[in-house]
Amino acid sequence: MTEMRLKTRPDSVLEDPGALAVAGLYARSYLSAAQSAGIARPQDEMNAFVDEVLGRHVQFAEIIDSSFISRADKMAMVDRVVAPQFSEFFTNFIRVLIRHGRIELVSAIRNVMVRAQEEASGQKRVRIRSARSLSEESRRLLTEQLKNKLGFEPILQESVDESLIGGLIIQVGDSVYDSSLRSRLKTLSGRLVEKALNEIQSGRDRFSHPERD
Amino acid sequence: MKFKADEIASVIQKEIEDFRGQIQTAEVGRVIEVGDGIARCTGLSNVMSGEMLEFPSGTRGFAFNLEENSVGVVILGDYLKIAEGDEVRATGKLLSVPVGEALLGRMVDPLGNPLDGKGPVMTSESRPVEWLAAGVAERQPVKEPLQTGIKAIDAMTPVGRGQRELIIGDRKTGKTSIAVDTILNQKDTGVICVYVACGQRASSIAGVVEVLRANGALDYTIVVAATSSDPASLQYVAPYAGAAMAEYFMYQGKHTLIVYDDLSKQAVAYRQLSLLMRRPPGREAFPGDVFYCHSRLLERAVKLNKELGGGSMTALPIIETLEGEVSAYIPTNVISITDGQIYLEPDLFWKGIRPAINVGVSVSRVGGNAQTKAMKKIAGSLRLDLAAFRELEAFAQLGTELDKDTQAQLDRGYRMVELLKQRQFAPLHVADQVVAIYAGTKGYFDKVPVAKVAETEALLHEFIRTEHADMRDKLVAEAALTDEIEGKLKKALEAFVARLASKS
Repeated sequence: MTEMRLKTRPDSVLEDPGALAVAGLYARSYLSAAQSAGIARPQDEMNAFVDEVLGRHVQFAEIIDSSFISRADKMAMVDRVVAPQFSEFFTNFIRVLIRHGRIELVSAIRNVMVRAQEEASGQKRVRIRSARSLSEESRRLLTEQLKNKLGFEPILQESVDESLIGGLIIQVGDSVYDSSLRSRLKTLSGRLVEKALNEIQSGRDRFSHPERD
Repeated sequence: MKFKADEIASVIQKEIEDFRGQIQTAEVGRVIEVGDGIARCTGLSNVMSGEMLEFPSGTRGFAFNLEENSVGVVILGDYLKIAEGDEVRATGKLLSVPVGEALLGRMVDPLGNPLDGKGPVMTSESRPVEWLAAGVAERQPVKEPLQTGIKAIDAMTPVGRGQRELIIGDRKTGKTSIAVDTILNQKDTGVICVYVACGQRASSIAGVVEVLRANGALDYTIVVAATSSDPASLQYVAPYAGAAMAEYFMYQGKHTLIVYDDLSKQAVAYRQLSLLMRRPPGREAFPGDVFYCHSRLLERAVKLNKELGGGSMTALPIIETLEGEVSAYIPTNVISITDGQIYLEPDLFWKGIRPAINVGVSVSRVGGNAQTKAMKKIAGSLRLDLAAFRELEAFAQLGTELDKDTQAQLDRGYRMVELLKQRQFAPLHVADQVVAIYAGTKGYFDKVPVAKVAETEALLHEFIRTEHADMRDKLVAEAALTDEIEGKLKKALEAFVARLASKS
């Protein structure tokens, strides 16, 4: 059965931060265990498992995630399905996750791992929101500029938001650099209103305190 | 005034031309959970505790809980416009309110937004809502009196400038009236007043504002209002916002008076926020730091030293008790923080003794330092005399035959109690208070029937004002009962008694 599951959460909604923190812990442990076991590219098997196994076989993913199925049954299933295809090291990792009841975090662990490796190799994700899709030329310029200013290799994650009218919003981590036309117009209108209020108030004072003139 | 459209257009055009849009940088996070006036957000990794945050709808909030994976935000305003996934922006500023002269005579919400329909508050200055109280070296002892205009208080539980005097009592015992009378009495004294209504009914706030306006007290008063229908967050912030507005004037060397009406409701609002934020509950489900919540607020009431301008902030916090239960959590806390309390009793109130101050339990820890010399001289033994009278009164109820001296003491006691009664919104100048209390304690009212004491007192004030104005002026100017003034006062009172006798 390959039908897509209904998307119930908008993209903007993040995962549970507590779960993310736990996933980070497992990801780091996995990487360091792989290092001490001398495994060259531990992420390959992880990617294969998440994309090829869980991504393609939704029912299997549901069974693995389900809390109605006992851990012993899941273990047996892993022995039958995962063990013959994957390395002993990776199978053990999956077994650990099942024993700890954390198997539903496996995709999150993969994501954290990818980020960690990107950062280790001097790369960082940069979210870019623009009013129109970026041209190849501006993309190249942007990457260059960001690299010079921020000192790492940016991985651009672009999205188009027409309500910005023009300009860009660049987000690196929790910091946002906003040069969009929408924000500028908002600031300008705020300033004009403030000025108008000052004028109105001083005009009113002229009537209530005529001696000031 | 002529309206020139061209001129306005050119002004706007110039403004637009001069506008340099700069890149705005901000720290952002996302809402993962929102409800009941609070939100939990991720991101915001460098946010400060108490920092002001902005939601896309323009609603503001402040960082309340900084946790390992999320930030707990208290929303100041309408939380129904905020959705899961919304972007939250840190502003890099602590929560602050506009301050300045422009606020005088205005009614604002705890964020400084006008509520009175008189247009925007035109001020460019602002002050953080939370401000560390002045340290020991920055203070001087409380020694100047702050006249409340209420005889029973100015004589027996005097309030000094920079003091914190708690007004405590059950519902409907006249707590707010005492505070409002005190504000009314600050007219022409240069004392700037702030009335913070916290969790009050909107109708009673409107009533207070109307009284202030009708008596011309609104010109030197700021009203900060958070009604019961406002979110708990605003009720919690209101006293701190009011304190910030008063502090602005205090640090300019002016004298200020702030009324927190009332702190029990603020504690309840703080309890709500804390419980929603999952802070552990303690006694009566209040969080552990509810004491600090009040102590840091009341410590901001201070008499500054000369180098800082000698300004002062006098605080009159109000606490409502339930069935006279002063040993509940919040009342005991606030009693222990303040420099004394005025205790109001429903029994006295219903007996017609208004203000219904229980003289025995009410104290002022600053004491005589905060009284004028004249008042100190005549009010010295008043408390003890009244206490002795209460004992005698209880004894006399047994119906025993009393000797002449005791009967005389009782009679004078009845008249003193009558003399200390005072109408609402009719504060008396301290010189008039001195005259009235002097007359009472020295026995000039002994011949007046108890029921006629109030009436006679009014006649006495009129008599002194019209026929002995020079003596009164001197008493006002010197604020001391010198032998000369006392001699004149005695003569005036004898003349008054003689006139009363001739009339009857």
